[in-house]
Amino acid sequence: MQPTKDSFYVALRDRLVAVDPDRTVLLDGATRPAIAVIENEPPTGAPLLCDCFYLRWGNARPAPLSVGTLMAMDCTISYCTKGSVQNANLDRGRDLAGLDNNLLVICAPPQTAKCDYSSGSPVALGSTIFWTQPVLNAAKSTPPYVGRDVVVTLFFYPEVNQS
Amino acid sequence: MSNDNPAAIPGHACAIRRFVDALLRSGGDTQVTLRISDPATGDTGSQLGLEAPTAEDLQLSPALVTALEPSADGKRRIEAVIGANALNVIAKQYGIQDIAAWLRTAQGIVYYGQLMRIGTVTVDKFLGADCLYHLTATE
Repeated sequence: MQPTKDSFYVALRDRLVAVDPDRTVLLDGATRPAIAVIENEPPTGAPLLCDCFYLRWGNARPAPLSVGTLMAMDCTISYCTKGSVQNANLDRGRDLAGLDNNLLVICAPPQTAKCDYSSGSPVALGSTIFWTQPVLNAAKSTPPYVGRDVVVTLFFYPEVNQS
Repeated sequence: MSNDNPAAIPGHACAIRRFVDALLRSGGDTQVTLRISDPATGDTGSQLGLEAPTAEDLQLSPALVTALEPSADGKRRIEAVIGANALNVIAKQYGIQDIAAWLRTAQGIVYYGQLMRIGTVTVDKFLGADCLYHLTATE
Protein backbone atom coordinates (compact mmCIF):
# COMPACT_ATOMS: atom_id res chain seq x y z
CA MET A 1 0.00 0.00 0.00
CA GLN A 2 2.80 2.42 0.81
CA PRO A 3 4.25 2.22 -2.74
CA THR A 4 0.83 3.28 -4.04
CA LYS A 5 0.76 6.31 -1.76
CA ASP A 6 4.32 7.28 -2.59
CA SER A 7 3.93 6.75 -6.35
CA PHE A 8 0.77 8.84 -6.49
CA TYR A 9 2.39 11.70 -4.58
CA VAL A 10 5.59 11.64 -6.65
CA ALA A 11 3.61 11.53 -9.91
CA LEU A 12 1.51 14.54 -8.94
CA ARG A 13 4.52 16.42 -7.61
CA ASP A 14 6.58 15.87 -10.75
CA ARG A 15 3.66 16.90 -12.96
CA LEU A 16 3.13 20.04 -10.88
CA VAL A 17 6.79 20.97 -11.33
CA ALA A 18 6.39 20.56 -15.09
CA VAL A 19 3.06 22.39 -15.33
CA ASP A 20 3.60 25.26 -12.91
CA PRO A 21 7.22 25.43 -11.71
CA ASP A 22 6.53 28.66 -9.83
CA ARG A 23 3.96 27.05 -7.55
CA THR A 24 6.26 26.40 -4.61
CA VAL A 25 5.97 26.76 -0.84
CA LEU A 26 8.37 27.10 2.04
CA LEU A 27 7.71 24.02 4.14
CA ASP A 28 9.93 22.74 6.96
CA GLY A 29 12.51 25.33 6.02
CA ALA A 30 12.83 24.09 2.44
CA THR A 31 11.36 25.49 -0.76
CA ARG A 32 9.57 22.69 -2.59
CA PRO A 33 6.68 22.09 -4.99
CA ALA A 34 3.39 23.13 -3.40
CA ILE A 35 2.13 19.65 -2.68
CA ALA A 36 2.54 17.61 0.49
CA VAL A 37 1.22 14.49 2.17
CA ILE A 38 -0.12 15.36 5.61
CA GLU A 39 1.04 12.12 7.23
CA ASN A 40 4.59 12.68 5.97
CA GLU A 41 4.91 16.11 7.53
CA PRO A 42 6.02 16.91 11.09
CA PRO A 43 3.06 16.83 13.51
CA THR A 44 3.32 20.44 14.60
CA GLY A 45 0.59 22.91 15.49
CA ALA A 46 1.30 25.00 12.42
CA PRO A 47 -1.75 25.73 10.25
CA LEU A 48 -1.90 24.40 6.71
CA LEU A 49 -0.49 26.72 4.08
CA CYS A 50 -2.49 28.50 1.42
CA ASP A 51 -1.87 27.77 -2.26
CA CYS A 52 -0.61 24.27 -1.51
CA PHE A 53 -2.14 20.87 -2.26
CA TYR A 54 -2.41 18.62 0.81
CA LEU A 55 -3.02 14.91 0.38
CA ARG A 56 -4.85 12.93 3.10
CA TRP A 57 -5.27 9.21 2.78
CA GLY A 58 -8.67 7.72 3.49
CA ASN A 59 -10.01 4.23 3.72
CA ALA A 60 -8.83 1.30 1.62
CA ARG A 61 -11.05 -1.61 0.64
CA PRO A 62 -11.46 -4.24 -2.04
CA ALA A 63 -12.52 -2.57 -5.27
CA PRO A 64 -16.23 -3.13 -5.95
CA LEU A 65 -17.17 -5.52 -8.74
CA SER A 66 -13.57 -6.54 -9.20
CA VAL A 67 -12.11 -9.97 -9.73
CA GLY A 68 -8.90 -10.73 -7.89
CA THR A 69 -7.12 -8.53 -5.40
CA LEU A 70 -7.70 -5.09 -6.90
CA MET A 71 -8.10 -2.55 -4.12
CA ALA A 72 -9.46 0.98 -3.91
CA MET A 73 -8.24 3.76 -1.64
CA ASP A 74 -9.51 7.31 -1.21
CA CYS A 75 -7.26 10.33 -1.23
CA THR A 76 -8.58 13.75 -0.28
CA ILE A 77 -6.73 16.62 -1.90
CA SER A 78 -7.31 19.85 0.03
CA TYR A 79 -6.26 23.30 -0.99
CA CYS A 80 -7.22 26.87 -0.27
CA THR A 81 -6.20 30.39 -1.11
CA LYS A 82 -6.90 33.89 0.10
CA GLY A 83 -5.84 35.77 -2.99
CA SER A 84 -3.31 38.54 -2.71
CA VAL A 85 -3.13 41.43 -0.28
CA GLN A 86 -2.31 43.80 -3.15
CA ASN A 87 -5.73 43.05 -4.64
CA ALA A 88 -7.49 43.18 -1.26
CA ASN A 89 -8.14 39.43 -1.52
CA LEU A 90 -10.58 40.07 -4.37
CA ASP A 91 -8.64 37.73 -6.63
CA ARG A 92 -9.12 34.68 -4.39
CA GLY A 93 -11.65 33.23 -6.83
CA ARG A 94 -9.17 33.56 -9.66
CA ASP A 95 -6.43 32.02 -7.57
CA LEU A 96 -8.73 29.13 -6.71
CA ALA A 97 -9.41 28.65 -10.41
CA GLY A 98 -5.66 28.48 -10.96
CA LEU A 99 -5.34 25.78 -8.30
CA ASP A 100 -8.32 23.91 -9.80
CA ASN A 101 -6.68 24.03 -13.20
CA ASN A 102 -3.38 22.77 -11.81
CA LEU A 103 -5.15 19.90 -10.07
CA LEU A 104 -7.01 18.81 -13.19
CA VAL A 105 -3.80 18.91 -15.22
CA ILE A 106 -1.62 17.01 -12.76
CA CYS A 107 -4.24 14.29 -12.31
CA ALA A 108 -4.15 13.47 -16.03
CA PRO A 109 -3.40 10.95 -17.30
CA PRO A 110 -4.98 9.14 -14.36
CA GLN A 111 -2.30 6.51 -14.02
CA THR A 112 1.36 6.07 -13.17
CA ALA A 113 3.87 3.32 -12.63
CA LYS A 114 4.02 1.94 -9.12
CA CYS A 115 7.44 2.19 -7.50
CA ASP A 116 8.86 1.32 -4.14
CA TYR A 117 10.60 4.34 -2.60
CA SER A 118 11.47 2.77 0.75
CA SER A 119 15.14 2.45 -0.17
CA GLY A 120 15.34 6.13 -1.09
CA SER A 121 15.42 5.61 -4.84
CA PRO A 122 12.48 4.38 -6.92
CA VAL A 123 12.33 0.66 -7.68
CA ALA A 124 9.74 -0.24 -10.32
CA LEU A 125 7.27 -2.85 -9.11
CA GLY A 126 6.03 -3.79 -12.57
CA SER A 127 2.46 -2.60 -12.21
CA THR A 128 0.53 0.64 -12.49
CA ILE A 129 -1.89 2.46 -10.27
CA PHE A 130 -4.81 4.40 -11.67
CA TRP A 131 -7.38 6.75 -10.27
CA THR A 132 -10.66 8.53 -10.87
CA GLN A 133 -10.79 12.01 -12.33
CA PRO A 134 -11.17 14.67 -9.64
CA VAL A 135 -14.64 16.14 -9.26
CA LEU A 136 -14.60 19.76 -8.13
CA ASN A 137 -17.30 20.13 -5.51
CA ALA A 138 -18.64 23.44 -4.25
CA ALA A 139 -15.88 25.61 -2.85
CA LYS A 140 -15.71 26.16 0.90
CA SER A 141 -15.62 29.84 1.69
CA THR A 142 -14.40 31.18 5.02
CA PRO A 143 -13.44 34.76 4.21
CA PRO A 144 -10.80 35.54 3.22
CA TYR A 145 -10.13 31.88 2.47
CA VAL A 146 -11.74 29.85 -0.26
CA GLY A 147 -10.82 26.27 -0.99
CA ARG A 148 -11.88 22.75 -1.85
CA ASP A 149 -11.61 19.17 -0.65
CA VAL A 150 -11.45 16.91 -3.69
CA VAL A 151 -11.68 13.14 -3.30
CA VAL A 152 -9.89 10.90 -5.76
CA THR A 153 -10.14 7.11 -5.60
CA LEU A 154 -7.01 5.14 -6.45
CA PHE A 155 -7.01 1.56 -7.66
CA PHE A 156 -4.03 -0.72 -7.15
CA TYR A 157 -2.94 -4.27 -6.60
CA PRO A 158 -1.42 -4.70 -3.15
CA GLU A 159 2.16 -5.89 -3.11
CA VAL A 160 2.39 -8.95 -0.93
CA ASN A 161 6.00 -8.34 0.01
CA GLN A 162 5.61 -4.62 0.54
CA SER A 163 4.61 -2.92 3.74
CA MET B 1 6.13 66.39 28.58
CA SER B 2 3.25 67.21 26.26
CA ASN B 3 2.82 63.64 24.97
CA ASP B 4 0.64 61.65 27.39
CA ASN B 5 0.89 58.40 25.46
CA PRO B 6 3.21 56.05 27.40
CA ALA B 7 3.74 53.97 24.25
CA ALA B 8 5.48 56.96 22.68
CA ILE B 9 8.19 57.03 25.37
CA PRO B 10 11.46 55.79 23.84
CA GLY B 11 12.51 52.44 25.30
CA HIS B 12 9.15 51.72 26.91
CA ALA B 13 9.07 48.22 25.36
CA CYS B 14 12.46 47.38 26.87
CA ALA B 15 11.35 48.53 30.29
CA ILE B 16 8.14 46.49 30.14
CA ARG B 17 9.97 43.36 29.02
CA ARG B 18 12.53 43.71 31.80
CA PHE B 19 9.69 44.06 34.28
CA VAL B 20 8.08 40.89 32.89
CA ASP B 21 11.40 39.04 33.12
CA ALA B 22 11.73 40.11 36.75
CA LEU B 23 8.24 38.79 37.48
CA LEU B 24 9.03 35.47 35.82
CA ARG B 25 12.28 35.14 37.76
CA SER B 26 10.45 35.83 40.99
CA GLY B 27 8.31 32.78 40.19
CA GLY B 28 11.31 30.45 40.28
CA ASP B 29 13.42 31.30 37.22
CA THR B 30 12.41 28.14 35.38
CA GLN B 31 14.04 27.13 32.10
CA VAL B 32 12.02 25.73 29.20
CA THR B 33 13.48 23.50 26.50
CA LEU B 34 12.05 24.15 23.06
CA ARG B 35 12.80 21.51 20.42
CA ILE B 36 12.90 22.79 16.86
CA SER B 37 13.52 20.92 13.65
CA ASP B 38 16.42 21.84 11.44
CA PRO B 39 15.42 22.74 7.88
CA ALA B 40 14.42 19.73 5.79
CA THR B 41 16.54 18.76 2.81
CA GLY B 42 13.50 19.17 0.59
CA ASP B 43 14.34 16.09 -1.45
CA THR B 44 12.05 13.16 -2.19
CA GLY B 45 13.12 11.23 0.90
CA SER B 46 12.09 14.00 3.26
CA GLN B 47 8.84 14.63 1.37
CA LEU B 48 7.94 10.95 1.71
CA GLY B 49 8.69 10.94 5.43
CA LEU B 50 11.71 8.68 5.02
CA GLU B 51 14.24 11.06 6.53
CA ALA B 52 13.67 12.35 10.02
CA PRO B 53 14.80 15.95 10.34
CA THR B 54 17.53 16.63 12.83
CA ALA B 55 16.44 18.61 15.84
CA GLU B 56 17.92 21.20 18.11
CA ASP B 57 17.08 21.98 21.73
CA LEU B 58 16.91 25.63 22.73
CA GLN B 59 16.95 26.64 26.38
CA LEU B 60 14.64 29.55 27.14
CA SER B 61 14.73 31.47 30.38
CA PRO B 62 13.08 33.06 32.33
CA ALA B 63 9.86 31.10 32.02
CA LEU B 64 7.08 29.57 34.05
CA VAL B 65 5.48 26.18 33.52
CA THR B 66 2.01 25.41 34.82
CA ALA B 67 0.30 22.04 34.71
CA LEU B 68 -3.15 22.34 33.13
CA GLU B 69 -6.12 20.05 33.44
CA PRO B 70 -5.60 16.90 31.37
CA SER B 71 -7.31 16.75 27.99
CA ALA B 72 -10.53 14.79 27.53
CA ASP B 73 -8.55 11.68 26.61
CA GLY B 74 -6.41 11.94 29.74
CA LYS B 75 -3.27 13.36 28.18
CA ARG B 76 -1.14 15.73 30.23
CA ARG B 77 -1.24 19.41 29.31
CA ILE B 78 1.02 22.23 30.34
CA GLU B 79 1.26 25.92 29.78
CA ALA B 80 4.67 27.51 29.36
CA VAL B 81 4.94 31.26 29.79
CA ILE B 82 8.07 32.70 28.24
CA GLY B 83 9.29 36.28 28.29
CA ALA B 84 9.62 38.10 25.00
CA ASN B 85 13.25 39.00 25.69
CA ALA B 86 14.34 35.36 25.67
CA LEU B 87 12.52 34.70 22.40
CA ASN B 88 13.68 37.90 20.74
CA VAL B 89 17.31 36.87 21.17
CA ILE B 90 16.65 33.58 19.40
CA ALA B 91 14.48 35.22 16.75
CA LYS B 92 17.32 37.56 15.89
CA GLN B 93 19.76 34.66 15.78
CA TYR B 94 17.58 32.63 13.38
CA GLY B 95 16.22 35.55 11.35
CA ILE B 96 12.61 34.98 12.44
CA GLN B 97 10.02 37.68 11.82
CA ASP B 98 6.85 36.13 13.24
CA ILE B 99 7.79 34.48 16.54
CA ALA B 100 4.29 33.11 17.27
CA ALA B 101 4.07 31.39 13.85
CA TRP B 102 7.58 30.02 14.29
CA LEU B 103 6.74 28.56 17.71
CA ARG B 104 3.83 26.68 16.14
CA THR B 105 6.24 24.95 13.76
CA ALA B 106 8.43 23.70 16.62
CA GLN B 107 8.45 20.00 17.45
CA GLY B 108 7.41 20.85 20.98
CA ILE B 109 8.49 21.50 24.55
CA VAL B 110 10.59 18.96 26.39
CA TYR B 111 9.00 18.47 29.81
CA TYR B 112 10.57 15.96 32.19
CA GLY B 113 12.16 14.21 29.25
CA GLN B 114 8.94 13.97 27.27
CA LEU B 115 8.17 15.90 24.12
CA MET B 116 4.92 17.82 24.46
CA ARG B 117 3.33 19.04 21.21
CA ILE B 118 2.53 22.74 21.06
CA GLY B 119 -1.16 23.34 20.52
CA THR B 120 -1.70 27.07 20.87
CA VAL B 121 0.48 30.14 21.07
CA THR B 122 -0.87 33.44 22.35
CA VAL B 123 0.95 36.69 22.87
CA ASP B 124 0.36 39.27 25.60
CA LYS B 125 1.05 42.80 24.46
CA PHE B 126 1.35 45.84 26.64
CA LEU B 127 1.44 49.32 25.13
CA GLY B 128 2.04 47.74 21.75
CA ALA B 129 5.04 45.69 22.81
CA ASP B 130 5.15 41.88 22.91
CA CYS B 131 5.71 40.92 26.55
CA LEU B 132 4.74 37.31 27.16
CA TYR B 133 4.24 34.22 25.04
CA HIS B 134 1.83 31.58 26.34
CA LEU B 135 2.32 28.12 24.88
CA THR B 136 -0.03 25.25 25.64
CA ALA B 137 1.36 21.82 24.95
CA THR B 138 -0.04 18.30 25.12
CA GLU B 139 1.82 15.01 25.46
